[in-house]
Amino acid sequence: MIEFSDVGLRYGNGPEILRDLTFSIEPGSFHFLTGPSGAGKTSLLRLLLLSIKPSRGRVTMFGEDVSSLDRDRLLQMRRHIGIVFQEFRLLDHLTTYENVALPLRVLGQPESEYRNNVTELLDWVGLGERMNALPSLLSGGEKQRAAIARAVIARPRVLLADEPTGNVDPELSSRLVHLFAELNRTLGMTIILATHELPLLDKFTYPRMLLTKGELTIHD
Amino acid sequence: MIERLLALLPGRGGAAPIVPEKSVAGRTLLLMITIMGFLSAVTLGGVVLVQKSAIAWSADVGRELTIQLRPVQGEVMESNLRTAVSLAEATPGVASARALTLEESQQLLQPWLGAGLDLTAIEIPRLVVVQLSDPVDADLPGLTRNLEAIEGASLDTHAAWRQQLNTMAGTIVLSGLLVLVLIGAATVLAIIFATRGAMATNREIVDVLHYIGASNHFIAGEFQGRFLSIGLQGGLLGGAAALLFFALVGMAAGNMLSSEAGAQVGVLFGRFALGYEGIVGIVAVVLVIAALTAVTSRMAVRRFLTQMS
Repeated sequence: MIEFSDVGLRYGNGPEILRDLTFSIEPGSFHFLTGPSGAGKTSLLRLLLLSIKPSRGRVTMFGEDVSSLDRDRLLQMRRHIGIVFQEFRLLDHLTTYENVALPLRVLGQPESEYRNNVTELLDWVGLGERMNALPSLLSGGEKQRAAIARAVIARPRVLLADEPTGNVDPELSSRLVHLFAELNRTLGMTIILATHELPLLDKFTYPRMLLTKGELTIHD
Repeated sequence: MIERLLALLPGRGGAAPIVPEKSVAGRTLLLMITIMGFLSAVTLGGVVLVQKSAIAWSADVGRELTIQLRPVQGEVMESNLRTAVSLAEATPGVASARALTLEESQQLLQPWLGAGLDLTAIEIPRLVVVQLSDPVDADLPGLTRNLEAIEGASLDTHAAWRQQLNTMAGTIVLSGLLVLVLIGAATVLAIIFATRGAMATNREIVDVLHYIGASNHFIAGEFQGRFLSIGLQGGLLGGAAALLFFALVGMAAGNMLSSEAGAQVGVLFGRFALGYEGIVGIVAVVLVIAALTAVTSRMAVRRFLTQMS
């Protein structure tokens, strides 16, 4: 599904942030991406999200070499990738329901088509009672669950999460990772979850992609 | 109400707007467009008023001629006056001709010579006022030729004065249009700056939309919808303020018209009534400003998004 071959990344004329990354991600797999701060986790996620292109090497996603794709095709491919951020990035003036429905609005679906799906998903993540609340009234855990719902509402094939547990307490962190695991198991979504919380990783048996000073090793 | 109308536009579907309705940049832009709309509408209304008045003056003056009879020794003025009236009345296209009485002629000189002077001892030029029924086909060359038979008679068609009037009105109209163009240019520049400010303020929204797979086309459409709304609201407020302005000036002029000085103003500028064409012009200004806002902001947004990506 995703293949990196000798991928390197540098910003401008700066030093290489990522070096010689070669790995493949199978469909329906779950990987933790970990490493110390500044190791390049966010940069790797940006490469996976197709928001930047590698300085060298080859990235293949869904069977296509992304370096040869035009902007429209890249946009279509990006719609198969969901993203969850540490800082939630919900739109403050929209309700929880409207935030979660946003990807479907962007796809041009009428509300009559997606209303039930969004409501069901909000129920599933435990926000059924909070769907009309603005983000400012949600707790950290609720915000992150809303952000996760937004990332999966359009049924992406790959779900990326950048430190999604960074702003919640350890107990809630564990519950959030269980939520990702549930999505992986029930929907068969490929998940890459970046975190530097080692105690959290120890609770799960998923393979770990360890980034250290721009170099990657995978521990199954 | 405007918001409800805009909700009917394609792509909005009545859902909550992705770009926030209320923002400092939005309010500033609304105020700026309202002012620009008011200035544009007042300028356009002024141009329409001047043009209407100029056409009315020109038509009035064009329907009237004057035959002037200078006193000539050996000629009998009263007889010459009767002949001039007869010649004028016999000319095709002339509705009527009337010689001003001696008293009327003396009254015409009063502003220059003062009241109370006895002018009976002096022979003064006399006038015959000729009203035309058909200013286009009136045989004025024929009348001029016929008047040559009367010594001291000359025909004044006021052509030079009308020419000056038309030139002045044309200059005012052109100046007004130039002012409109300058206001339009200033509006475009202000919208570009405001749009870029709004985009920078809403950078987070743009980023999120990009991350969830929104195309630049979609994002630009969302911002354009917001700016079209602001443009329409600003244009309508400015246009309404301009209509109110003309209504108030018209009322003030109406009160002034009771005095003699006011009557002079009324003769020059009419009753400040914009009429059908003025109101249509102001409505057009509102629509143009809304369209200008939407198109300019769309271009600025597309440019911003291209630079971002």
